[in-house]
Amino acid sequence: MPFDPHFIATPSATSRRAFLQRVGAGAGLVGLASLLTDEGFGASIPNRSLDPMAPQPAHFASQAKSVIWLFMNGGQSQVDTWDYKPELLKRDGQELPGFDKNTGFFTGQVGPLMKSPFKFTQHGQSGAWVSEIFPNLSKHVDDMAFVHSCYTDTNNHSPALFQINTGMSRMGFPCVGSWVTYGLGSESKNLPGFVVMYDTLGRGLPKGNASNWGAGFLPGVYQGTPLSAQGSPIENLNPVLDDRHQRKQLDLLNKLNSRHQALNPSDAALSARIESFELAYRMQMAAPEALDVERESAATKSLYGLDNPKCVHFAKQCLMARRMVERGVRMVQIYSGGMDNERSWDGHADIAANHRGFALETDQPIAALLSDMKSRGLLESTLVICCGEFGRLPLVQKGGTGRDHNPHAFTTWMAGGGVKGGVHHGETDEFGHKAVIDRVSINDLHATILQLLGIDHTKLTYRFNGRDYRLTDVAGQVVKPILA
Amino acid sequence: MARSIFPALVAILLASRLLAGEISPVDRDFFESKVRPILVEKCLGCHSAEKKIRGGLRLDSQAGWAKGGDSGPALTPGKPDESLLIEAIGYGDASLAMPPTGKLPADTIATLTEWVKRGAPDPRLEAPAPAKRVIDIAQGKTHWAFQRLKPVPIPSTTASSWIRNPIDAFILAKLETSGLGPATEANRSVLIRRLNFDLIGLPPTSEEVEGFVKDPTPDAYETLVARLLASPRHGERWARHWLDLARFAESHGFEHDYDRLTAYTYRDFVIEALNRDLPYDTFVRWQIAGDELAPDDNLALKATGLLAAGVHSTQITANQVEKERYDELDDLVATTGTAFLGLTIGCARCHDHKYDPIPQSDYYRLVSTFTTTVRTEYDLKTDPAGDKARLAVFTRELATRQADLATFEATTLPNRFAAWESTRSSDAPLPPEVELILKSPQQLRTDGQNDAILRWYRGIEPDWLALRDKVADQTKVKPIPTVVKALISSEGLPAVRLHTQGGDFLDKTHFLKRGDPNQKQEEATQSFLQVLMNATESKWQAEPPKGWRTSYRRIGLANWLTDTNDGAGHLLARVMVNRLWQHHFGRGLVATPSDFGTMGEKPTHPELLDWLANQLIENGWRLKPIHTLIVTSAAYRQAALGEDSSNTPPEQNEGLFRGRPKQRLEAEAIRDALLAVSGQLDTTMYGPGTLEMGIKRRSIYLTVKRSQLVPMMVLFDAPEALQSVGLRQTTTVAPQSLLLLNSPIVRAWAKGFAEQVQAKSGQSPDLAVMWAYKIALGRDPAPDEKSDGAEFLSGKDAIESSLIDFCQTLMSLNEFIFIE
Repeated sequence: MPFDPHFIATPSATSRRAFLQRVGAGAGLVGLASLLTDEGFGASIPNRSLDPMAPQPAHFASQAKSVIWLFMNGGQSQVDTWDYKPELLKRDGQELPGFDKNTGFFTGQVGPLMKSPFKFTQHGQSGAWVSEIFPNLSKHVDDMAFVHSCYTDTNNHSPALFQINTGMSRMGFPCVGSWVTYGLGSESKNLPGFVVMYDTLGRGLPKGNASNWGAGFLPGVYQGTPLSAQGSPIENLNPVLDDRHQRKQLDLLNKLNSRHQALNPSDAALSARIESFELAYRMQMAAPEALDVERESAATKSLYGLDNPKCVHFAKQCLMARRMVERGVRMVQIYSGGMDNERSWDGHADIAANHRGFALETDQPIAALLSDMKSRGLLESTLVICCGEFGRLPLVQKGGTGRDHNPHAFTTWMAGGGVKGGVHHGETDEFGHKAVIDRVSINDLHATILQLLGIDHTKLTYRFNGRDYRLTDVAGQVVKPILA
Repeated sequence: MARSIFPALVAILLASRLLAGEISPVDRDFFESKVRPILVEKCLGCHSAEKKIRGGLRLDSQAGWAKGGDSGPALTPGKPDESLLIEAIGYGDASLAMPPTGKLPADTIATLTEWVKRGAPDPRLEAPAPAKRVIDIAQGKTHWAFQRLKPVPIPSTTASSWIRNPIDAFILAKLETSGLGPATEANRSVLIRRLNFDLIGLPPTSEEVEGFVKDPTPDAYETLVARLLASPRHGERWARHWLDLARFAESHGFEHDYDRLTAYTYRDFVIEALNRDLPYDTFVRWQIAGDELAPDDNLALKATGLLAAGVHSTQITANQVEKERYDELDDLVATTGTAFLGLTIGCARCHDHKYDPIPQSDYYRLVSTFTTTVRTEYDLKTDPAGDKARLAVFTRELATRQADLATFEATTLPNRFAAWESTRSSDAPLPPEVELILKSPQQLRTDGQNDAILRWYRGIEPDWLALRDKVADQTKVKPIPTVVKALISSEGLPAVRLHTQGGDFLDKTHFLKRGDPNQKQEEATQSFLQVLMNATESKWQAEPPKGWRTSYRRIGLANWLTDTNDGAGHLLARVMVNRLWQHHFGRGLVATPSDFGTMGEKPTHPELLDWLANQLIENGWRLKPIHTLIVTSAAYRQAALGEDSSNTPPEQNEGLFRGRPKQRLEAEAIRDALLAVSGQLDTTMYGPGTLEMGIKRRSIYLTVKRSQLVPMMVLFDAPEALQSVGLRQTTTVAPQSLLLLNSPIVRAWAKGFAEQVQAKSGQSPDLAVMWAYKIALGRDPAPDEKSDGAEFLSGKDAIESSLIDFCQTLMSLNEFIFIE
């Protein structure tokens, strides 16, 4: 899918024809507003240059149309959550032979093996072992596919965050959400196609900040739109004028722009911009409505935990995610936890307190999201992903009861559209230290995400500075066993 | 042992005989006539050693399909139902469906199924080993962009009256070949607006428009061009284009994205260099090695900020040290390759370049140039002459005071002591060692005792104390050189260190297998791209003077880059004139401005490109003469094709430079234009910037912090400053419109604009409309625009408030940001 940056300056015959059909000699520009209300009309012209967010056909049919990515920021410990390792109980306190002390971040604080402070029990038909910190999520294991053998290349937060978001541990490459909206556009006219939410309790952004949802060399329109934690969630959404005055202003603008347009009939960029003002006008109404969780029933609000002070912040975001996906937003990414150690899942000091705390913030809302979406029939068209940027060591970090970073193993679970539920793919060694069976790289994970959305990861390319780039670079194998 | 191996060997031999050897003539014929053509046409493009091996699967031999790909063996002889290949071509499973271009016709599928059913007889035992592509440098040199510039004859044309300078002859010649003529010349109010935005990035004032439209002198146009090129605003406009290529930002990126508070000095270098019309070869040389070439020239030092502008991890763990450093070196080579040479050198990091004649070894030899280069904060002396003068005054005064003290000690002090001693009262208690000396008679005292007693005495002598203090006071006011800190790149100076568990650089650069720092090979010594070398590297390399702190490797690179005889100079010139052309016409003569390699676009007017490159070199690499040539051409002065464009489909005009398509202003120019018409533009130049979009200075002075890019800039497609960008995207999205409708800052600018209008028009709606159009668009309103505007302003609201609404509307017009 090449994107031609020259397109706007020199429209091709197709776009021109499309444009003329659209504006038409008879309809003229006065009719534009009414044409715009016809969503289907917009969708029938998948021309990304005129409307870079126009929905695009997938490479092949797929169930998942949108993505909700729940990001356990800071690095969730696999051995304390989804990757049960009874061997750790037996070997608690023993050295791990042959351990490379440079594996984690604190190379001088390498301690012995440490058992999980949490009890594990089996759940569901599939009998998945789940940590006690997920009493709600454990009811959904039959809908989840677990990939226990994920690994990454770096042991530090921001490079690892960049890698899981963009495929590269360096800065400057487009993230998954950017590739997905570049590939598929968005079904939503009134909301950004790719929305990011981060901690609203003032604990900060994920490390690496906005580069985690940057579009890299893709056009800026494909970058994630972060919702502001305070004030208006989307910038410039509150009108500075009352409706009467703003409408009057827009009517004049349309009139003048249309006259200018008539002198330049072949310049499609001009008409695209005329449309963008009308769209902006409608967004002022539609976007706040979409993000307003107060419109939900009391039962729904309670299900997510809006009445639970421990998780109300994350619950709101999960509910907003559902409302957005319902309205055609292509991808939503929510970060649990903020920037500094212990203010995220980065439990260096006390894994029990840290993970118990963050589980309390997320367990109920995510479980509610799965139930709610399932009962609305939304889950089958939505891919839900949950993981962090890396895992944690099965060792104790000396000086406390926490765990250091571990790039060699982490668990990712997925649920929803196109995902086979109750499946466990790949294994780590007996301690959960390294992925050993059916190892899944970040490129593989990305290839699988794209596959679930109907995109062949080898064919979604973008030419920049003389090279055709892919999300998966030159690698990536789809993890087929988790596909429904 | 022997007994157990033997049957196994027999089994293997039998198997291979069965699988490969004994194909009946019928089967062979079936394979050759039916199967092989299908495989060749439909499969081998992606599944052969010769082309590609997608999914790890080779179908170019029996061994290939028997081994299979990532999903296992491709087929089971005799069992089509158990064969992946047959399942794939059946298109039953979407994720498996092959070939991807579309389902094969039913009879083709039937043939392949039949083949598998027959046991898949295949005479192709082993496929040929993949042919290793060997880069042929001599062959590579024949690519158009790598050839030397030759003198270019100016073509002859029929409609020669249109021609204003040689550029037009090249443009017209091609138009005539296509059976087309140029568009008419745009009118003067359009031309001044175009020139203003292209050359200085700001709209002309209504007075400037009127002055130019009415200027009767024959060289009015040329005068205007000269005035704009001489404006300090010119450097600010064009520096922004260069900063895109330099992936310039003022923060480190990564984990903490710490600020680089002194990085703005590179931005200031670019502005100043362009305003001064620093020759482009010097501009390039200084950015690579200014600290080595002109270590006392502040501008040259600041220029090396290019090498410091890339990201730098703020937290490097022990086992990431090498990888991070090689990444950083890659950024340097990729950025300089892209910005200066329009080449994708970075593609040769892991393997030989796939398309261009750049072997992997060239990449590492080039990388070694920067082995010991680090970013460092350097004190630039901003007033060396003043420093020297101030130091001289200081030294003179200090010497005077010291001399006064010495004279006093040599002459007056002994007399004063003698007088004191003779008159002193013996009651006052003195330190015992002093008493001891005083007790002995004067003539018996040793020199040591005399010195000691004087040293004690002067401490109670007020005049000596005063003179001593005068010396001390003076030493306290030693003038400090006036310096400004600048983030530069150099060697042998302390590196800017963040959190790292390793050194600032690696002592050696190695060739890396697959680009992997864990697979080091021998050390890479410096050289350049062979395809652009007509001499050995020693021609450009230099030895540093004894005791000098840098390696001079960067001088070597700078010499090679700018050498027009044997080095990369001709490509350097071609790439730059194309960039100038691109920003004036919206499209380069080469449409891929940062890819002049074999995968890039070919020039639409190769002779014109070479002619301009020759002009650049002949003009001493000065850019302003090239700007002048381009914008004074008739080609540049063409009007938009407008309504009559419907006669010629746009694609037919592609690359002909016929007429002038509208171009949307870039983010910075949009903001600057809004500020300009608001009457609030602050033209203060240089110095630290700010993240506040609401400041009144030009957008080039907005700080580029990687984690907090100014939202308005991002909305209108400013790049992320992470990789070199030669051509920005232009997108149109609703949040841009939301900004113009609802941003309080934009509203404040609209208010400033309205106040300007009102100052000229009073309460008259007609006058207000007229002045608003003149200020915002540099023209008078058409009659229907006049009446629409007047009607808007004569509602029941006070004109003061409706005028702001009106002005904001004009600021939102397509005409405001799409320049004809």
